[in-house]
Amino acid sequence: MLDESDAPALVGDEDDGLKRSITGRLLYFYVLGDVLGSGIYVLIGLVAAAVGGAFWIAFAVGITIATITGLAYAELVTKFPQAAGAALYVNKAFGNRALTFLITVCMLSASFAAAGSLATGFSHYFSEVWDLPPALLVTLVFILILAVVNFIGITESVVANMVMTFVEIAGLVIVVIIGIVYVAQGKADFGTLAQLDTGDQSPVFAIIAGVALAFFAMTGFENAANVAEETVEPSRTFPRALIGGMVTAGLIYVVVAATAALVVPVGTLAKSDAALLEVVKAGVLPVPVGVMTILFAVIAMTAITNTTLVAVVTQSRILYGMSREDVVPGVFGRIHANRRSPWVALSFAAAVVCGLLVVGAALNRAGVGVDVVERLALVTVVFTLFIYALVIVSALKLRGEEEREDVYHAPTVLLWVGILGNILLLGYVVIDDPGSLIWCAGLLALGGMLFVAELLFGRSGARSKNSGEPSEPDPTQEA
Amino acid sequence: MHVIIATDGSKQSLTAARYATTVLDATKVTDVSVLAVVRPLAAVSFSNELGPSSAGRAAGEGASFRADAEAAIEVVAQVFADWGPKVHKRTRSGSPANEIIKAATQLRAGLIVVASGSRGISETVLLGSTAQRVQQYAPCPVLVVRPSKKPRRAVRS
Repeated sequence: MLDESDAPALVGDEDDGLKRSITGRLLYFYVLGDVLGSGIYVLIGLVAAAVGGAFWIAFAVGITIATITGLAYAELVTKFPQAAGAALYVNKAFGNRALTFLITVCMLSASFAAAGSLATGFSHYFSEVWDLPPALLVTLVFILILAVVNFIGITESVVANMVMTFVEIAGLVIVVIIGIVYVAQGKADFGTLAQLDTGDQSPVFAIIAGVALAFFAMTGFENAANVAEETVEPSRTFPRALIGGMVTAGLIYVVVAATAALVVPVGTLAKSDAALLEVVKAGVLPVPVGVMTILFAVIAMTAITNTTLVAVVTQSRILYGMSREDVVPGVFGRIHANRRSPWVALSFAAAVVCGLLVVGAALNRAGVGVDVVERLALVTVVFTLFIYALVIVSALKLRGEEEREDVYHAPTVLLWVGILGNILLLGYVVIDDPGSLIWCAGLLALGGMLFVAELLFGRSGARSKNSGEPSEPDPTQEA
Repeated sequence: MHVIIATDGSKQSLTAARYATTVLDATKVTDVSVLAVVRPLAAVSFSNELGPSSAGRAAGEGASFRADAEAAIEVVAQVFADWGPKVHKRTRSGSPANEIIKAATQLRAGLIVVASGSRGISETVLLGSTAQRVQQYAPCPVLVVRPSKKPRRAVRS
């Protein structure tokens, strides 16, 4: 049985032995799988459209900024190996309740938007296999199934996770092989790789636009904090596995982007909803195109599923954590008696993502042309850029605190570059596409509403929690 | 005999532990291991419903599922405090059924005590729960303690 297996027996099984199950290798694949699934299968066409043949540059820049941010995460995780991520770091650095709440809601919103974008990407590949069901239906069913899968707990399998990651890599290897064959046949025009097709826009802005989209491809690495607490020797393993996974993903991205640009005309990539399929459809390999198309579509769907699953886990975790801290109604902390899953949080998260998808579809029907993938990806990017910048600031602010011998230190200069990069991109996205802000505001308002609901309907009015200072554990406040 | 008492942080697991003390002969039991398994990749890795562990923590202090697991073990271990046999506290990480079985094998346990959460429809419709898997693959006898006829949680939640 697949989900019966897990990591090999590890550290000692003492009386109260601290047995942890996530090894560096598992963490590496967790990061790699999570990062790879998100962007490249979904977004490559949009990035190509923004930049032109040289769009691999956009990926390279996006990856660099994200990896620098990863360094800050690695440093903070080694200081605070807990399953909380950005909210914890910002809280430690600033100690401001409102800011912590804002960051938590941003994390939640980013994850909602990412799931929506990924679900839509999934439906594009799905239609290549079976194009009868309407796309909206596919996305909704996809999200609901993932919620159920999480509820049952199939996702807990470390092995299933690794298998999915290998499938993802296999898909990208196929693309690269096609590229190598194509080059070997002497058909490749390497000039394409330097070609910027930016219309009347300045090339710099075109690249920044591409970077903003490509950035989505790297988001998700921060979810590695989910398993920080269960990582073996986190101070040694975590930085290596996280950065290793990101760099590997980055290299794969750049090679795949270059391959796509060489094999398929950029115009075709730009117009395609499932752009990497165009590479396969180019018929470079001596395998029937029909077979390859279906195989590749299935691989792409697996990749997207993997990443979306992690997003769904993250959402329900954040909601669960918030309810335990009494900033959202306690109902989100409810655990199913038998499956030990936060079923209310899972249902709510699925409902929000479905809501985003329905709104996107309704706007399209009403004649407001919205590219749901692009719009939600940008919304995610806005939130994550903000979070990332603040995390790096927190890393710098927390220098000198919790300093133990085994704490990893990111190079300070790079961190400054990272802050600058994140803020520049954020500024660009916001100025270039203010429409995203409406969606962001909507998602933030939702978080605010949950907080108000807790204030109004919370079980008791007199809570010491709302005073701002960490309070002593109180037996009456059991969630 | 070494007895493993598994807890998933549920009230039912506490009931199971108490039940075990009523049916087992304390003089025949040499060791009791209270075991909790943290599930790293699950939506909620561990949820402690037995105490105040993570409630009362300030915003952003971060979830420590491990601390929750240890708090739950502490509560369950209290049941055996004056019972006689030596009490061990163990936290493991991974898939619960698998880790319980592994622990039973390593400790050469003579009995595993687990709780089964609900009698509700989910039990019948959905795939096997931890208790079911443990009883299928355990290297020793398994005591599964199910809720009494009027399940409080199963119906309401």
